Amino acid sequence: MNPRTSLWLKTVYARTWVRTKSIYGEPLWVAVNVGFPFFTSLALSLLYSSAGLKAGIGFAFLGGVMVSFWGNVLWSMASQFNWDKQQGLFELYVTSPAPISAILIGMSLGGILGTAPSAITLAIIGWLLFAPPATALWPLVALTFALTLASLYAMGMALSSLYLVYGREADSVNEALHEPVSFLSGVYFPSSLAFPAALQAVVLIIPLAVGMDALQRTLFSLNSTGATDLTPVYRDLLLLAVMGITLLFAASKALKILEEKGRRAGTIAVRQR
Amino acid sequence: MSYLSSIIASIRVGWSRDFGWTNPFLGFSLKTIAPIASTMTAVTVLYIGFRNGTSISPGQFPMLLGFILIGATLYAHISAYSWVPTLAIAEGKWTFVFPQVYVSPKSSPPYLAGRCLAAFASSTVTSIASLAVAIVISSLLFGVTIPLILTPLSISLFGVALIVNILASMGLGFLLGAYAIFASKFEWALPTYVSGLLMVFSEALFPVSLLPHPFSDVGNVLPFTEFIRASRAVLLPLGSVSSYFYYLALSFIGGSILLGLGLFAFRYAERRARRLGVLDRKVV
Repeated sequence: MNPRTSLWLKTVYARTWVRTKSIYGEPLWVAVNVGFPFFTSLALSLLYSSAGLKAGIGFAFLGGVMVSFWGNVLWSMASQFNWDKQQGLFELYVTSPAPISAILIGMSLGGILGTAPSAITLAIIGWLLFAPPATALWPLVALTFALTLASLYAMGMALSSLYLVYGREADSVNEALHEPVSFLSGVYFPSSLAFPAALQAVVLIIPLAVGMDALQRTLFSLNSTGATDLTPVYRDLLLLAVMGITLLFAASKALKILEEKGRRAGTIAVRQR
Repeated sequence: MSYLSSIIASIRVGWSRDFGWTNPFLGFSLKTIAPIASTMTAVTVLYIGFRNGTSISPGQFPMLLGFILIGATLYAHISAYSWVPTLAIAEGKWTFVFPQVYVSPKSSPPYLAGRCLAAFASSTVTSIASLAVAIVISSLLFGVTIPLILTPLSISLFGVALIVNILASMGLGFLLGAYAIFASKFEWALPTYVSGLLMVFSEALFPVSLLPHPFSDVGNVLPFTEFIRASRAVLLPLGSVSSYFYYLALSFIGGSILLGLGLFAFRYAERRARRLGVLDRKVV
């Protein structure tokens, strides 16, 4: 195998392993990560229930599952390099021969593997408590889920390079982004039933919004006949694939530019508080 | 008097921490966006329930919208500042600010109370702004007029309720702070759980009577539930001034008990942490 490819793959494996081990080595993480999405999903399920729309409970718990991943993208992908920089770890990354892109991919894979147990636990709890009616097209659900995570984590990679230039403001930006993106993406409700057409078109630039739309359509029928119209799902899948590739490319470019700029200005390892 | 000056100094520390990194307008704007979005999520769920469900009549919808707008905004307000003492301790250990409090002539409760009051003041501004924006967006998006009572009297009474609720939120903050003194990891986990529990038990989004016994009883005795009920009683044509004072009194009594418990637990935890030598243990 080409030595560069071998190094890249070894770096991906190493970073994935570290992140996965940090979560599976501390099972309490699962309980910790389930907490807030569970209570939010529970509260919104009871709200759907009180409105006489039991079918909406599925949206609430699907939202909880996806919010776990969205939170992981923001707090453990986008902010990670910034925190690594504060702790002096980023200096080790840039001085080692390990490719930064491989570290990011490893971080993403580790993040997905690490978040999966809490997301699955939440889905099981929701199903056991409420048994929301689902008419799932499982192969499409799996494909949609995979593409949604791919484009979400690609966005996390792009944000991580952007956050590298931030100091303490990164946390405030994360806090400000989390809820509005969840709302605009229709995480806990189908945005096609709530937003005007113009707003629906605008939010299609957010990978989470596209993914949620496709997941809601493939897991729960959104029309009165109960049959799923697959045209919007295929449109969403295409959009997700395009977004994933574009964001991956943008992340790689942005990191190279910022790394180069940081090396020249001598600020790449400067800790900001 | 010296306690008061310590509290005022801590309020300034809190504001500096929250807004020192940028200009105040941007800082407040960023802090207002999240509660607007979470409130809008709740009201949108209600709207979808109204349009596609079976339990809400068109006549009920505007009132229910007001019910949730007020509940969701006040829930965001409570959770924004009740966990500030935990944050002040956990982040303070990490940045070595918290151990410095013990080097100073004052003890930690005035410091934590000041941080909590700073967060209360900024959260009050952001919550009122987010409530106003959410009302406008909801009216435009759903095409309804929300039957809010906005008179000088109702606004003043609402202001009093906000102040009375400081007791309960600060009490909860001290209780969580007692835990944070000992936590060396997952220090943010317990406040997150408590915040999630409050969403279910504080009547923020739905009446606690929807919960099965004994969970509904738990919700009924929480001072946060009474605070939200008191606020609704004056801002919505749901109750009367007498019901407002009834809920306010319950909120005051519950809040005083919670504050007493919180201070007692914090004092105990602090003394024990001194003996065990963990006051400056760094959070990892």
